Amino acid sequence: MENTAAVKVFSKDWFRTHGAALAGYGGVLFCIVFFSITTPLFGESIWSASKLSTLISDVIVLAILSVGAVFVYSLGSMDISIGKQVGLYATIIVAVTNSTGSLILGILICLVIAVFIGIVNGATGELLHIHSVVSSLVFMMVLGGISTLIYNNMGSRNVALKSFDHHIFKNVWLMVIVLVVEVLIVTFLFNYTKFGKNARAIGANPVAAEQSGINLVKYKVIAYVIMGVFVVVAAIFQMGYTGSASDSTGTGFEMNVMVALILGGMPLSGGMKSRVSCAVLGSFTFSLLNVGLPMIGIPVNTVNLIKAIIFIIVVLITCRKSRGVLPR
Amino acid sequence: MAHEVIFEAKHMHKAFGPTIALKDVDIQICRGEIRGLIGENGSGKSTIMSIAAGMQPATSGEMIYKGQPWHPKSMVDSQHQGISMILQEANTIPHVTVAQNLFAGQEQDFSKGGLINMSKMYKRADELLKKFGITNIRGRDPIDRLTFEDRKLIEIVRCVTDDTEILVVDETTTALSHEGREILYKLIHKMTEQDNKAVVFVSHDMDEILEQCTDLTVLRDGDIIGHLTREEMDAPDAVQKIRLMMVGREIGEKYFREDFTPSHQEEVALELQNISFGPIKDFSLQLRKGEIVGMGGLSGCGMHEIGKAAYGLEKLEKGQVLRNGKPIKSCLQAIESGIGYISKNRDLEAIILDAPIQTNIVLPSLTALTKGGFIRPKDEKKLSDAQIGAFRIKCGSGKQYVNTLSGGNKQKVSFAKWTAKGSDVIVMDCPTRGVDIGVKQAMYALIEEMKKEGKAILMISEELSELIGMSDRLIIMKDFEVTAQLERSKDLKQTDIIEYMI
Repeated sequence: MENTAAVKVFSKDWFRTHGAALAGYGGVLFCIVFFSITTPLFGESIWSASKLSTLISDVIVLAILSVGAVFVYSLGSMDISIGKQVGLYATIIVAVTNSTGSLILGILICLVIAVFIGIVNGATGELLHIHSVVSSLVFMMVLGGISTLIYNNMGSRNVALKSFDHHIFKNVWLMVIVLVVEVLIVTFLFNYTKFGKNARAIGANPVAAEQSGINLVKYKVIAYVIMGVFVVVAAIFQMGYTGSASDSTGTGFEMNVMVALILGGMPLSGGMKSRVSCAVLGSFTFSLLNVGLPMIGIPVNTVNLIKAIIFIIVVLITCRKSRGVLPR
Repeated sequence: MAHEVIFEAKHMHKAFGPTIALKDVDIQICRGEIRGLIGENGSGKSTIMSIAAGMQPATSGEMIYKGQPWHPKSMVDSQHQGISMILQEANTIPHVTVAQNLFAGQEQDFSKGGLINMSKMYKRADELLKKFGITNIRGRDPIDRLTFEDRKLIEIVRCVTDDTEILVVDETTTALSHEGREILYKLIHKMTEQDNKAVVFVSHDMDEILEQCTDLTVLRDGDIIGHLTREEMDAPDAVQKIRLMMVGREIGEKYFREDFTPSHQEEVALELQNISFGPIKDFSLQLRKGEIVGMGGLSGCGMHEIGKAAYGLEKLEKGQVLRNGKPIKSCLQAIESGIGYISKNRDLEAIILDAPIQTNIVLPSLTALTKGGFIRPKDEKKLSDAQIGAFRIKCGSGKQYVNTLSGGNKQKVSFAKWTAKGSDVIVMDCPTRGVDIGVKQAMYALIEEMKKEGKAILMISEELSELIGMSDRLIIMKDFEVTAQLERSKDLKQTDIIEYMI
């Protein structure tokens, strides 16, 4: 049979397949162009060395979390305990380092907890037939409670590293290298191994995935464990930036991750259209807005409002379903 | 006959990316006719009516409905204006009642002060079901408790209202039970003969078309090849003539297996030992290498459940499924030990619609494709392209999404998964459902080839002709019990079998 030309660029079919990617790349490009032009008019350019390093330190924790969360979101699941996890891990690392002098020991303890939480979050959904958000909600409350207890017992609302020099974690180059390495690892696992392929298949159609021989419990657990490891990495940078942790460390991070992924064009239902680039693009869009908006004279307390408006626009573009319910 | 034209399409053209589904097609539908649309998979027969019913827009061309230009915005819009379409695949809303499905989108009619009067809705649902002659389903039944076949009936009841002017039935009968079909036939004859409405019947079941339709249009590769009137359909050589029009070449004599002696190797490939679960009690079956065992019966007789059990999907109360001496308790174990399963519920269980063809085909083979810790995209493409070629799946490339394929081509994808995996035992539940003659012929040849390679095949089917044509041994079930076991023979006739089924 004969073929015509490929799908026309910007046609309706093209939008259906590439709409989300367009929103992801378009959002970050728009922010870059917009702030490149506007910020010099208000004095300092966003590309000055100091602002650029502010941007990187702002983006690093969110980007590490979002890229790590790609696996879980591709399942069509989400984890709302990661904010509390970051807070608790940061606290543990500071406390253990202060009492034993070993940073590594603190990190190892956090990894063990993260893997445990990952296994529980990944497995309960499938074994007990509840949505995995529910078990992560339980962890959110439990971990929050533990944090409160710790800080109550200490009688203070924050702890700081005493002897350890945390300035290494403020090095912008280290941040960039860690992020690049993470993106490479996750991209490899997500696109070129069974872990990623199976996770996307589960997100797209769990019944067909299972009938094709995918062990749902195993691959969901793997997805959550991968994320847990990167939550620990993020907690290290979160703690390292100030050299301290407090009872509010990590608050709201789980929602920031969700917003960043959606801004990057990640479908919340998961499946085949999930991409690692969504996490990177979305995190940078998010941070560009954070850093850029105050620079063009927008008061810090209205920045969230503007982010919300942009978020709504992106959601309307990417998450809308055109089909309605068929009436009788 | 000078019937009033109710719908007309002029120069209708539709392309899915590089694939052309319809080439500049003109068609007229008149009141009072049951128009059959017949053609192979991907011939465009469903596409024409899905455009008319507002499911998707045409790439170019115009439509006229009741004398006015017709631009349906959606299927909802089209249904309000009187063109309703019953789709091939299950389309009910899960987890709610039958009545809620029937009146989805019309809840206002039953609500008072923001509350829905459910008992009123159930009552209306019962009346409606009765009007359609459905007596075994009630409005308050949860939809999940209905069988696949009964859910299809609910869709029909939902689609057809007094305002329906054109009813499009798209390959629906293959998904209906025997009684369901009778209800549908009665309905379409009433609509056309008494109410002077139009029915478009999309199918490739030739017998059904010849029996039910008043007019027939044959399509091939997106073109209309010809029209047949009722008189022409009654001609003695009509079947050959239509087949030739559909396929475009003589398909030859060979269709089913040509040998009539049952044969198999000695080694047992799969054994079901006295399994009991749900209503099925003490069922046993030995499937040997190189053997095709056919299972037939009315849907609801338990044969589909046996297929699921053989694949480890059912929880057994007693007995066990053995493969190479080891019990199979889950579908993961089944796949690891070389069993493949093609589900009857294709779009929900057998394939991932929202994924490329290649992803679907390689999915069970990912472990085998992993080399040195990762999967080379080149290897995936090679495996998938080989299957796309072998099955002649009609697509631009393996990257095309499965939801853009026609029904038969989707079925080929779900078949290709297991040939790519190289499974030794394949359980097929209605393997040729929604597949047309040309492809069926190829699939039968493929199944025979598998048999020669020593693969064991359990073929569950509602089509007696293919069961007789392909099986070495035939098991007939009725009400969850085996009523007959028949050996392959030249003298086996459909009429001999039916008495064991009903």
